[in-house]
Amino acid sequence: MKISKSLLFISFIALVFFLTASSSARVGPTYAIVNCKIIPISGPPIENGVIIIRDGLIESLGPKEKVYVPEDAEVIKADSLFAYPGLIDIHTNLFLEPAKEEPQRPGAIEAMAAEPQAPDWAKQVDSSAFQLIKPKKSDIENFQKIGITTVLVVPEKGIYAGQSVLLNINGDKKETMVIKNPVALHINFTTERRAYPSSLMGTIALLRQSFLDTEYYSSYKSQFSKSSRGQKRPEYDPFLETLSQFVIQKKPIFFNCQNQEDIKRAVGLIEEFKLNGFITGANEAWRVPGLIKKAKVPLLVSLDFKPPFTSIYINQSEELKEKAEKEIYPANSANLYKEGIKFALTSHGLKSSEVLENIQKAIKAGLPVEEALRAMTIIPAEYLGVSDILGSLEPGKIANLILTSGEIFGEKTKVERVFVDGLSFEIKQPPKEAKPSALNVAGKWKAAISGPMGEMEMTVELMQEGNAITGNISTEMGKWEISDGLLTGNELTFTISATIMGERMEIAFSGTAQKDSIEGILSFSGGSAKLKATRIPDMDL
Amino acid sequence: MLRFFVLSSLAAFSCFSFGQNLLIKNGIILTVTKGTIPKGDVLIIGGIIKQIGENIPAPEGIKIIDATGKYVIPGIIDSHTHIALIGTNESSEPITPEVKMRDVLNAEDTSIYTALSGGVTMVHTMHGSANPIGGENIVLKMKWGKTSEEMIVHEALRTLKFALGENPKQANVAGMGTLRYPQSRMGVNAIIRRELSKAKNYMEQWDRYLRAKRSKNPPKNLTPPRKDLRMEQLADLLRGKMVARCHSYRADESLEFVSLSKEFGFKVACFEHIPEAFKITKELAAEGIGISIFLDSWAYKVEASEGIAYNAAYCTQKGILVSLNSDGGERIRRLFNDAAKAMKYGGLSEDEALKLVTINPAVQLGVDRIAGSLEVGKQGDIAIFNEHPLSAYTRCDMTIIEGDVYFDRAQYLKEREEMEKKKKEDELKKKGGKK
Repeated sequence: MKISKSLLFISFIALVFFLTASSSARVGPTYAIVNCKIIPISGPPIENGVIIIRDGLIESLGPKEKVYVPEDAEVIKADSLFAYPGLIDIHTNLFLEPAKEEPQRPGAIEAMAAEPQAPDWAKQVDSSAFQLIKPKKSDIENFQKIGITTVLVVPEKGIYAGQSVLLNINGDKKETMVIKNPVALHINFTTERRAYPSSLMGTIALLRQSFLDTEYYSSYKSQFSKSSRGQKRPEYDPFLETLSQFVIQKKPIFFNCQNQEDIKRAVGLIEEFKLNGFITGANEAWRVPGLIKKAKVPLLVSLDFKPPFTSIYINQSEELKEKAEKEIYPANSANLYKEGIKFALTSHGLKSSEVLENIQKAIKAGLPVEEALRAMTIIPAEYLGVSDILGSLEPGKIANLILTSGEIFGEKTKVERVFVDGLSFEIKQPPKEAKPSALNVAGKWKAAISGPMGEMEMTVELMQEGNAITGNISTEMGKWEISDGLLTGNELTFTISATIMGERMEIAFSGTAQKDSIEGILSFSGGSAKLKATRIPDMDL
Repeated sequence: MLRFFVLSSLAAFSCFSFGQNLLIKNGIILTVTKGTIPKGDVLIIGGIIKQIGENIPAPEGIKIIDATGKYVIPGIIDSHTHIALIGTNESSEPITPEVKMRDVLNAEDTSIYTALSGGVTMVHTMHGSANPIGGENIVLKMKWGKTSEEMIVHEALRTLKFALGENPKQANVAGMGTLRYPQSRMGVNAIIRRELSKAKNYMEQWDRYLRAKRSKNPPKNLTPPRKDLRMEQLADLLRGKMVARCHSYRADESLEFVSLSKEFGFKVACFEHIPEAFKITKELAAEGIGISIFLDSWAYKVEASEGIAYNAAYCTQKGILVSLNSDGGERIRRLFNDAAKAMKYGGLSEDEALKLVTINPAVQLGVDRIAGSLEVGKQGDIAIFNEHPLSAYTRCDMTIIEGDVYFDRAQYLKEREEMEKKKKEDELKKKGGKK
C-alpha cells in the first residue's frame, strides 16, 4: 500500500510533537502582570511595570512602554500592587510532622554490657527531608500568605538530623516541588537521651571523632584504590560513606546554633576540618560579631527571638526576660546589619503565623526593610547556589513572585497573589473586620452525618477563641483534628483532618450555627455529605 | 537587683582589656607566704603586682582603693567545682576522657558572680564523678562579664578526672533503666586498668607506624592507625602531658589507684574529697600526692562514714599539700569559713589555714607562679574582707582580678537600692496613670 506523503508528514509532526510534549511536563500558562511597581532586587525599582511569565519562567519585565504583552497571555491587572521576588525561607520544618515522643520504657532493665552498644546517632544521617515531608494544603496556604514561595525543609531531631530538601511551594505533590535534593547535612548541638553522647561535651567529642574517622576512611579508601594488592580491603561503613560527601567532598553542612557558645563551637569545627559550613539559628549572633566576620561563615539568622536557656538575660527576673524577648533579641539582625555582616533570615523555630510579625519586629528594631527583603531573597539564593534561577526578578529566572497590596512587610500590607514556578495562586483574604461573634459554639455536640457512605453518628468537640474555632471529632475510625475554623456571625467553616483506612484526607465544613444547633455541608474529594449537630448539654456528660 | 548590676558590669567589661592599674592603700596585707604587713599598700600595674609595702607613692591618675581597716588577701582559689559549665557528666559510658570542659563553658552562669562575692578569683571546674574516667577539666578566672575564652587560665596543668567508689559504680544513664558496667569497686579498678592497657597498645601502634614512616625504606602501603580521641587523651596522661585528679573516699581504693598509677606511670596530682586521707598520709606524702577536700562534712554517704574534721589539719601536719574545695556553686561563697575551721579542728595557724584556699590549690593546679599569694611578680588577684578572713564575722567586700574590680559589695548594694527605688516610682506612676 502506498502511504501518502501528507499522511507521513502529519504523522512525523505528530511524533515530534508527542515526543517534545512528553519529554517536558505540561506547558505552563502565560501571564502578563500589568501596571505594578516591580522591585527586582537585581536592579532599581520599576514604576508602572509589566512582567511576562511563560511556562514557569520570567520571560521579560520592565516599564510598560518597553514590554510587549503577548496575545496568548492572561492579563492580570496589578494596579497599585507591588511585585517582589517570592521569599525564600532557608530553614523551615514545613510539611514535617512533629516527631512522635518516644514511649518511655517502664523501668525495664537492659542487659549490662562491658562494651558500649551500637550508636543511635549514626542512623539519622541519611534521614531525608524529602522522604519525611507530607504536604498539606493548609501549610502551603500559610506560607504563601506571607509571600514565601521557596523553602528549605530541614529535618529537626538528632545530632546528625539528616539532609534537607529545597522546595518551590507550587502545589501539594512532593515531586513537582523539589528544586534540589539533598541540599545539606544538618547538625544540632543536642544529645542522645538513652545513649552516648548524653551530654553536650560528649556531642562535641563525637563530632570531632566522626570527622576524623571520615578523613581516615576516605584516605584509606583512596590509598587502597591506588594499589589494592597486599592491603586489607577497607570495611564498608554507610555512616562514613554519607559523611564523606560532606566532610571530604565539601557539600554544605549546617550547624544549628542556639547561643553564642554554639557559634564558637561550630566555627571551631568548621575551621578545624575545613568544612563547607553554614551557621543557622544564631539568634545570639550579635554577641560575637568579630568571630563571625573573621570566620566568613554564611549566617542564617532565625526570626525566633526567644532567648536561649543559657542567656544571662533570662535567669535574673521576669522583667529582664521580657525585655530580652521584646527588645534585645529582636534587635539581633539590626545589630548584624550595623556591623556590616551579611545574613539570611529564616523562620526556624516559629509557627507560620508568627513569621511576619517577627519580621516586622526586626524592622522596628532597626533592620532596614530593603535588608530584610534581601535577607529573604537574593542572599539565601546565593547561599543555596541557586541565584541564577531564584532570588530576584530577572528574565530567565524562575517565575516565583508575589504581588502585595503595599510595601513588603508593611503593617497593613497583604499578599494578594503568589506565583510559584509560573503558576498563579490567589490568596484568600480573611473576611474584613470579622467582629468577634456573639455566638459561642464551644462545647460538645452530637453530630449526624448523612452522605454516600450512609448515616453516621459522631461526637464533635469545639473550642472557640474569638472567631477562631478548633477542636476534634470522634468517629468509629478514630479521633480527627478540627482546625482553621472561623465563626463569622452565624457562618461557620472549619477543616477536618481525617485518616480513613490509612489515607489522610481533608474534609471542609461550611454551614451555619445557632446556640444549640449546627447545620451544613461537608465537602471532600469524591463527594459531599450533610451534617446536622445538636449540642450536648453539660449535665449529660 | 542582681540583674542590673550584672548587666551594667557586662556592659562595662565587654571590651577586652589587658590587666589594669590599681593601688590598694592602707590595708592589713596578708601575703600568706611572706608574712603580714599591718598597714600596707599593694601596687598593681598592667595586672601584675609590682610592689607590696608601706606608703607606696601613687602613680599619677591611678585608681586608688582605700582599704583602711580591711584585710587584703590573695584571691581565693577553688580547686574542685562544677560551675560555669553546660552539663557535668557524660554518664552514658563509664570511660570518656575525650570530653572536655573547655567545649561546654558557660560564661553566663551566675555562680561566677556569686563566687566573686565569696572572694574567689580562680576555679578548677571539672567533670563529675559518674565515670571511672571522666573528661578533661579546666581552670578559669572568674572574670564575670568577659567571654568564656578570656576566662581560661592557660598556664594551668592539664588535668583528667578519675572517680572511684560509690559514685561511678552506681551511676546510671539518668534513670533510663540501664545498668552500666562497672557496678562494683573491683569493676571500677578493672575498667580503668583495661582502658589504660588499651591506651598503651594504641601508643605502641602509633610508635610502630611513626618509626616505619621515618625509616630509610618505609614499607609500601603504610597506613597510619586510626586516630582515636579517647585513646589520645589517655596517651597524653601516660606521656605526662596530663595529671590525674582522682575522686575517692576510702583508703583502700585510693591505695589501689596509687599502685595503678605507678604501674602505668602516670602522675596523680590530687585525691578529691578522700575523707580517709588521714589513714594513708605516709603513702600520699611519699608519692607527693595532694588532697582537695571538704573540712567538716562526713557521713553523708556510707563511704564517708569514717571521715573526721581533723582530716585537713592532720594531713597538713604530715606534709601533704591540702586544699579545700566547694564542689559546687554554694560552698564556693564561704571557703574562707571552711579554712577557719582548720584552726579549730587541728590547730593550724592562721597562715596555714589561709594557705588551704590560696597557695596550696595554686600549687596543685600548677599556677603558683602567677597566683595564690601576694608576691611581687604574681597577678593582681586580690580579695578584700572587712574583718579577718578567718573570723566568723567576716564578709568579702571586694574581689579584684588582674587589677580589675569584678566585685564591689558597696557599689552593688547601692545600685540595688537605686533599682528598688526606681521600681517603686515606676509602680506609683503606673497606678497614678491608671487613675
